[in-house]
Amino acid sequence: MTIQIDEPRERHQRVPPWRNVTFLKWAAQVVFLIGILAVFWILGSQAGDNLDERGISVSFDFLADPPGIALAEGIDVRPDTGARALYTGIVNMLRVTVAGIFAATILGIIIGIARLSSNWIVNKVATVYIEIVRNIPLLVQIIAWGVIITTVPGNLELDSGPIGCALAEPGCEAWFVVSNKGASFAWLFPADGFWQWLTFLMIGVGASIWVYRRRMRLKEDRGDETYALTWGTLTVVVFAAVGWFVHPIMGFLGYLWGWIADLFDALPVWTIQTVLALLAVFFAGMWIKGFLDDRRTPAGLAKLTDDDIFRIGSAAAAGLAGVVLFFSFAGISDWILNSGRDLFSVMDSKFEFLEGGSPLAMSRPSIAQPGNFPNYGATGLTMSKLFFPVFIGVTIYTAAFIAEVVRGGILAISKGQSEAGLALGLRRNQLLRFIILPQAFRIILPPMGNQYLNLAKNTSLGIAVAYPEVVAVGQTLYNQTGATIPVVILWMLFYVSVSLFISSIVNWYNRRVALVER
Amino acid sequence: MLKRLSVLLIVLALVAAACGDDDAETTETSAATTETTAAGGDTAQTGDGVLATVQARGVLKCGVSGSATAFSEQQPDGSATGFDADYCRYIAAAVLGDSEAVEFTFLTAAERFTAVQTGAVDILIRNTTWTQSRDTDVGMDFAPTTYYDGQQVMAREGDGFSGGSQITDLEGATVCTNAGTTTEKNITELTTQLGVDITLNTFEDFNQVMDQYIAGACDAVTTDGSGLVGRKATQQTAGENWVIFPAFPISKEPLGPVTGQNDSQWLDIAKWAVFSSILFDEHGVTSANAAGRAGEEGEVGRLLGGDGELQTSMGLSADAWLNAVSQVGNYDEMFTRNLVPVGISREGSANASYLDGGLIYAPPAR
Repeated sequence: MTIQIDEPRERHQRVPPWRNVTFLKWAAQVVFLIGILAVFWILGSQAGDNLDERGISVSFDFLADPPGIALAEGIDVRPDTGARALYTGIVNMLRVTVAGIFAATILGIIIGIARLSSNWIVNKVATVYIEIVRNIPLLVQIIAWGVIITTVPGNLELDSGPIGCALAEPGCEAWFVVSNKGASFAWLFPADGFWQWLTFLMIGVGASIWVYRRRMRLKEDRGDETYALTWGTLTVVVFAAVGWFVHPIMGFLGYLWGWIADLFDALPVWTIQTVLALLAVFFAGMWIKGFLDDRRTPAGLAKLTDDDIFRIGSAAAAGLAGVVLFFSFAGISDWILNSGRDLFSVMDSKFEFLEGGSPLAMSRPSIAQPGNFPNYGATGLTMSKLFFPVFIGVTIYTAAFIAEVVRGGILAISKGQSEAGLALGLRRNQLLRFIILPQAFRIILPPMGNQYLNLAKNTSLGIAVAYPEVVAVGQTLYNQTGATIPVVILWMLFYVSVSLFISSIVNWYNRRVALVER
Repeated sequence: MLKRLSVLLIVLALVAAACGDDDAETTETSAATTETTAAGGDTAQTGDGVLATVQARGVLKCGVSGSATAFSEQQPDGSATGFDADYCRYIAAAVLGDSEAVEFTFLTAAERFTAVQTGAVDILIRNTTWTQSRDTDVGMDFAPTTYYDGQQVMAREGDGFSGGSQITDLEGATVCTNAGTTTEKNITELTTQLGVDITLNTFEDFNQVMDQYIAGACDAVTTDGSGLVGRKATQQTAGENWVIFPAFPISKEPLGPVTGQNDSQWLDIAKWAVFSSILFDEHGVTSANAAGRAGEEGEVGRLLGGDGELQTSMGLSADAWLNAVSQVGNYDEMFTRNLVPVGISREGSANASYLDGGLIYAPPAR
């Protein structure tokens, strides 16, 4: 009697496709992808046909043509090309964003802690500030600041500012001038020897970190107070002070920068292309290796899910795409070579061996009248009547939100923590520094990043006061050339990039301070 | 899994079918509309031309400024008064028979072209300068010029300016104007050529520009001469004297109505609306005597709907221009009503009739 053993095994191994789970999963995903692409293609071609019918262009030619407009302020007030005009607008926007983020953070933290103060007046002032500022739309606030700066201070005169001394006297310069043309302050600017001094200072910072660590280790070994922080700070201060006079010595680095600049000049483009392509392959390979290592158990490699295969495939594809990209677009490598050479040439010019004056120079506001009208001169830190309302507006508005975020973070720490700290005999400021703030910091960080993103996007309201940031310049451009859709596309790409950049920095920091869970 | 797959396929099929059918449906309905409205006409355009859309809707959507003194000023009830607003009413009376069947849309200089390009307004009468780039690049067509203007600058006599000042006297000044206009481009070009250093602030709304100028934050303002005259007449601060210079304008600014591109029928209507108003002025046909002159022979009779009239073949009713001139008036009446009160006169300027040495001239209606 022959026993049929093979049949059951065959039946298990060959499942028809319409019942095979893996096949169906892949097929469904492929069909869905085709469906989505088809919908987009239909919508896109419909839009393209409609645009053609109305004669609306979607070309990016305006970026290379001279726009024929002048901007109120910026790095290039008479741009040669549309692209340069947009670039000036971008720089203007970033100026407000960066300055605003710093100012709003500082102001917000102060107000947030003030709102938690036990001093009744301080507490109430902070509360009133937050409630008023938060509830008025930002556009209204910016327009209000614009109206204030143009009507309240009064006209700029040649012989005196409303706040300042009579400039007609020789040797007298004002510290602070406000007028309806803007505000100008005295400020420290980097002068001749600044970069050399900075290098010396960085060495000082490195030394102070070493000193600090040594002192902390000594403290832990010996058990008594070694004032590690004081010693560390002292080291930096000493280096800064000595460096003020001694920094010309650092000028020898100028030779190094010059040599690197010549190196960049001499390298042919294909070397950079090869390096970049190898880097792309290397990083893809390292990532795949790390990924597989994560899934390696003592019993060997774990079974890879579809998701894992997709990720590995994507990483490999990205590496390959990188290779193709760098070899087919020589422009990228060319740009890297040129920028590198320019950067190191500039650094070379800033480092002169045994030369260089004072690193910082105080620049005080001045008033000049080249023609019929007085205006701010080239010295001092000047905020024009266009920059001022946008900067103050977004700073004050975002500071109110940051204050609430900080307050929320501190209040979120359970009362038991402060009671335990007090029971241990810590003073109130030690309690704040060692127990409350480190824990609160973790909670505050993600909403803070959110507020930074809001600030970056809120700067686009500058158009209401004619500040020439990227939205205002873009609008002028598309008005003069008719290229509305390309400008809107560029706007969206720019804002997405800026927002992703800010949020990636915040996320990286967040991951670093996050609680490591099992 | 299979059920989900089949549902997805059915949804995709429906979407594809809906998109494909849209084109066919709209052409059918608009062809039907054109047939019913163009009684006796044989040159009516099939497809969705602006004339058909306006007649079906019963209201003319007109884009104006709202802050251009004497040309289009926004009124509290949402309507507009002014020279450009009157031309909107003239065209509405011609196309729809009622000069009040107008919906005014107030547009900034930044929004106006997108509004015309996309058809959000049927016609834009917003002191827009006719330039080569706007005619070709931007996607619009221009009707004939209703007002020949030129760009000038306005500053205070107290700052040392007079009617004879030149652009070179603006060295170091903060000059303010509208964003996205030919004014902006002209002043930039001229000051670059002459090597004059100015700071140019551009605002969305000309009202904002004037507020900054009155407060002293802007040293000078620049725009079309007609705008400056209008603002000086209405907003000059007591005790100050604002001067407009240079005496000869720094640019040509021919202002007129604008339509969307590639709609010949609608553009013809806009063209002949302007020309008919000019011809009525040449022949002395006014809102008062138009009805009485309807039976005359010659050009006047043809324009007013008599023998040999040409309005029906354009897609309009025979008495289109008769309605327009009776309800709104001819070119001179519109000019006198709106622009003379602020101090702009036709005599001796480019806006006088060609018979008096100006540029206002229309081809014959034959």
